[in-house]
Amino acid sequence: MKSPTLVLSALLAALLPATPALADLADLSRDINVPLVEGREYMVVPNHPNQLNVLDLAENKVLKTCSLPDAFGPGSVQISPDHRIAYILNNRFFGLYGIELDTCKVTFSAQMSQNEEERAISVLSIAVSPDGKELYTIQNPTRLHPDHYEVLQSRLAVYDTRSGLDAKPVRTFPVPRQLSLMQAANDGSLYVLGQDVLKINPATGEHEVALPLLNWKRPGYGVPDVLSAWAAQRPSREFAALYTAPKFKDDKQDMESADFVWGVLSIDLKTGETEVVDFAPLTEIYFTGTRSPKDRNHIFTVLNGLRKYDIKEQKLLASANVDHAYYQVSTSLDGSRVYLSGTLQDVAVYEADTLKKITSITLPGGDMALCTAQVFVR
Amino acid sequence: MNRKSIAKTLGGLAVLTLLAGNASAQNRINVPNLMAERCSICHADELGRLPRIQAQRKTPEGWLMTVVRMQRSHELRLTDDERRALVKHLADTQGLAPAETAPARYVLERRLNTVESFPSQQFTEMCARCHSGARVVLQRRTATEWERLVHFHLGQFPTLEYQALGRDRDWFNIALKEIAPALAKDFAYGDDAWQKWKLVKPAPVEGQWVVSGHLPGKGDFNATLTATLKDAQDANAKDQYTLTLAGSYADGEKLSGQGSAVIYTGYEWRGKVTINGVAYRQVFAIEGDTLRGRQFVAEHDEIGADIVAARQGSGTSHVLAVQPAWLKTGAKTRLTIVGNDLAGEPELPAGIKVLKVLERTPGRIVVNAIADRQALGTHKVKVGGVEGGDLAVFDKLARVEVVPPYAVARVGGDGGSRPKVEARFEALGWATGPQGEYRVGVVPAKWSVAPFNEDARRDRDLEFAGSIDGKSGVFTTNNAGLNPKRHLSTNNAGNLTVVASVANGGKALNAQGQLIVTVQRWNDPPIP
Repeated sequence: MKSPTLVLSALLAALLPATPALADLADLSRDINVPLVEGREYMVVPNHPNQLNVLDLAENKVLKTCSLPDAFGPGSVQISPDHRIAYILNNRFFGLYGIELDTCKVTFSAQMSQNEEERAISVLSIAVSPDGKELYTIQNPTRLHPDHYEVLQSRLAVYDTRSGLDAKPVRTFPVPRQLSLMQAANDGSLYVLGQDVLKINPATGEHEVALPLLNWKRPGYGVPDVLSAWAAQRPSREFAALYTAPKFKDDKQDMESADFVWGVLSIDLKTGETEVVDFAPLTEIYFTGTRSPKDRNHIFTVLNGLRKYDIKEQKLLASANVDHAYYQVSTSLDGSRVYLSGTLQDVAVYEADTLKKITSITLPGGDMALCTAQVFVR
Repeated sequence: MNRKSIAKTLGGLAVLTLLAGNASAQNRINVPNLMAERCSICHADELGRLPRIQAQRKTPEGWLMTVVRMQRSHELRLTDDERRALVKHLADTQGLAPAETAPARYVLERRLNTVESFPSQQFTEMCARCHSGARVVLQRRTATEWERLVHFHLGQFPTLEYQALGRDRDWFNIALKEIAPALAKDFAYGDDAWQKWKLVKPAPVEGQWVVSGHLPGKGDFNATLTATLKDAQDANAKDQYTLTLAGSYADGEKLSGQGSAVIYTGYEWRGKVTINGVAYRQVFAIEGDTLRGRQFVAEHDEIGADIVAARQGSGTSHVLAVQPAWLKTGAKTRLTIVGNDLAGEPELPAGIKVLKVLERTPGRIVVNAIADRQALGTHKVKVGGVEGGDLAVFDKLARVEVVPPYAVARVGGDGGSRPKVEARFEALGWATGPQGEYRVGVVPAKWSVAPFNEDARRDRDLEFAGSIDGKSGVFTTNNAGLNPKRHLSTNNAGNLTVVASVANGGKALNAQGQLIVTVQRWNDPPIP
C-alpha cells in the first residue's frame, strides 16, 4: 500500500504553485522579516489558508503573516521559552513545525509517521521543555498492513529542537491512549490531559496520575467531562482546562436531579500543585476559560458570549455579547485586556474590567478554526 | 493522511445512482477474473484466496460503499461498468437475505427522519453515535472481520476516541473486546437465513406491476409499472430491466415515466425512473409476486412515496389498497381499489353502498360509494373473494397527529454544494368506535409553524428558518450560510413547532410536531 501521506504531498506539490492564496501571501513577504521587539506584547495565531499571524497587541494590528508548509490544521501552537520560536502542530495533525518569529523561517519540522508502514497523528498534543531544548508530542500510530489496519499503542515522542528539518525522535515511550493537550513543568515533567491528567517523565517514560478526572473520587460529584483543544501558556505557569460535572443532591447520586457545574482544573507548572474548583452552574457551553492575571479568583469564559465569574463566590460578574462564536479567550499579561480568537478571521479585543469591546483585529486570509492563540512578551 | 476531503468529491446520492445505472456492459465482464486481477493485489493470501472479501456479506449499497472507498482511498482502478459488475456480483454471492435486511430497510429506503432505537445502550453509544445503527445491522462478518472493522475505525478516524461518548471510556478496548464479539454473535457471517435464501428460486420480475403509492405533500397515486428484460437474447442479462410507468395521482395529474432497474441478490430492486421530468429512485424488496419499498426524488430523497405493488398474471390476486383509505359517513366519495388480477364484483362491508362502478380493469376498480353509521370502523375490501386494503369509515375524528412527529430539514443552496432539504408533514386522523380508537388515515389540514421554545422565540427562528405551505404541509428552508442579521451571525437554523389544524364538524382539531431546521449534511453516504 502506498503511503497516503506521500500521495497527498505529491498532490499538494502539484497544486501549490497555482493556489491563489499563495500569491496573496507573497504580497506580505515585505513584512515577514520585521523582528519582534524586546519587551513588547504579541499574540501568535494561525488561520486559513495555512499561515501564522503575529499580532502587535500594543497597536492591535497584524505585524506579519508567515506562510506555513504542508497542510493546515489543527494549528496548535506553543511558544519557546525565549519567545523566539512558535512550535505548531499542523499538516492535518501529521506534522510539527518550528517557525522563527523574527524571520518566518521554518527551523524545525518532523512528521509523526515513522515509516512507510505506519500512519501516526497527534491529537492537539505539543509541548516544549522549559529550557527550549526538547519538543514533545503524543503520537497515535496505526500500522498499515497490505489489506488491514492495526491500531498500535500511543507513544510519547521526544524531539531535539536543534534537529532541523525532517527531525526524528530522540526517544519514544509507550503511553496510554486518548492523551491530548500537554505542557512541560519547570522540573521538566510533562502534564498531559487524558482520561486523567498524567505526569510523565520525558527522560524515562514513567508516568503517574497527577490529577484524576475520569477516575476522580470527588465526594458528591459524578464523572467530569473535559473538552479542550487549546493549551494556553500563561505567565503564571498554570496549565488549565474547564470541566463540567454532575453535582448530586444526595447520596443516591441520581443523575436526573443532579446539578451540572462548570469548573476549572489547574496544574501549577512551577510546583506541580493541582487544583479543581467549580465556578458556575452549567447554563451554557463554553469552549475555554482563563483566569485573570490580575486576580486569580476571576475567570473569563467564552463561546456564544464573553463572561467573567468570581470563582469563590460562584458569581457572574460581567457579561458581553459577541458578534459570533469564539473558541478561545486569552488575556494580556497585565490582565487589562481580553482577547477572543478561533472560528472566523477576527480577534476581538475587550476591556477586562468592564468587558467593553475595544476593537477587532482582522487577519488576512480565513477562518482560525481550532487554532491556538498564544499571548507573550518578547 | 486523512483523505476525507478527497472522498467528498462525489456526493453520496451521486454514488447511489450508480446502483441503478445503465448496466449494459456488466455481463460481459468476468467478475471472478476481475477480482483475481485487481482485488488480489492487496487482498490475496498465500493460497490466492481473498479472505477479507470472503468473510463479509452486505447489501448492494454496502458493497458499493466498500468498492467506492477502495477506488477513492486505495487506488483501485475500475471503469464504471466494472464497478457495477463487481457490486452486483458481491451482492449476489455475498449479500443479505430478506429476513436479514427487514429490520433496517428504512435506511436503504432513505427514510432519514427515522429515530432509531436499540436495546443496547452500549451499541447505541459505541456505534450509532456517528452513523446509523442500521449500517451495522446490514452487515454480516466473521469475528475476525468485526475486529478488523474496529481497527479500521480508529485507524481511519483517530479522533473518535476523543469525542463525546468516546473520551469518557476506554473506547478502543471496549470496541475490540466487547462490541466486536457481540456483533460476531448477533450479525454472524454464516447465518441460517442466508443459507436458506441461497436455495430460493428468485421470483419473476418481468411483466406488469400494479403500483399503489402515497406521496406526502401530493397524495395517493396508482400506476402500472412495466418491467421488460433489457436483452432477452442474453441469458446473463436476466437481472436488468427497462421500466415504463403510467398512472395518475388522486388529484388527476398523470404520471408517466421511463427508466431501468437492476435486481440484486434475487430480490433487491434498485430502479431509476424519470417521472414527469423528475429523476426518481426506487428501493424495493420483492416478496414473491408483490413488492414494497420507497420511490424518492434522486436529488431530494426526503421527497418520496411508500410503494406497494403486485405483479399481474402471477396467479394470485391481491387487493393492495383503497384510495382514499377512508369514507366520511354521508359523503359520496370516489374510491379506487388497487390490486392485481382483480376479477369479480367489489364487495364492500355492510353500511357502504356502491352507487356506481366507474371503471373496472384487472388493476383497479373505481366506484362512487357512500357509507352510513353502520359501517363505522375499519374494514378490508373484497374483490372476487380476495380480501385486502384498508378502508376506514368515520363520522367524526377523535384526534389527529402530525407525521412524522419529528423531522429534520436542512438549509442549502445559495451557491453551496448541498441543496435545501425540505420536510413534509401530514395529518393522520383517528376516530373512536365501539372497539376503541382506529386509524382513519391522512386527512387534509391547514399548516402553520411556531417557535418551539423560548430560545427559538428569542432567536426569531420563525423569521429565518423558512416557511411551510399552508395547504400541502411542505416546509421549505432558507438559504445556507452565515446570516449577519441573526444573533451571532448564525445559520438559518431553527427549532419549530409544526401545527396541523383539521376541520372536524364545527371545530378544528389541532396537532403538533417538531421540526429541526439545521445545517447541511456534508457527509451523505449511501447508507448514512
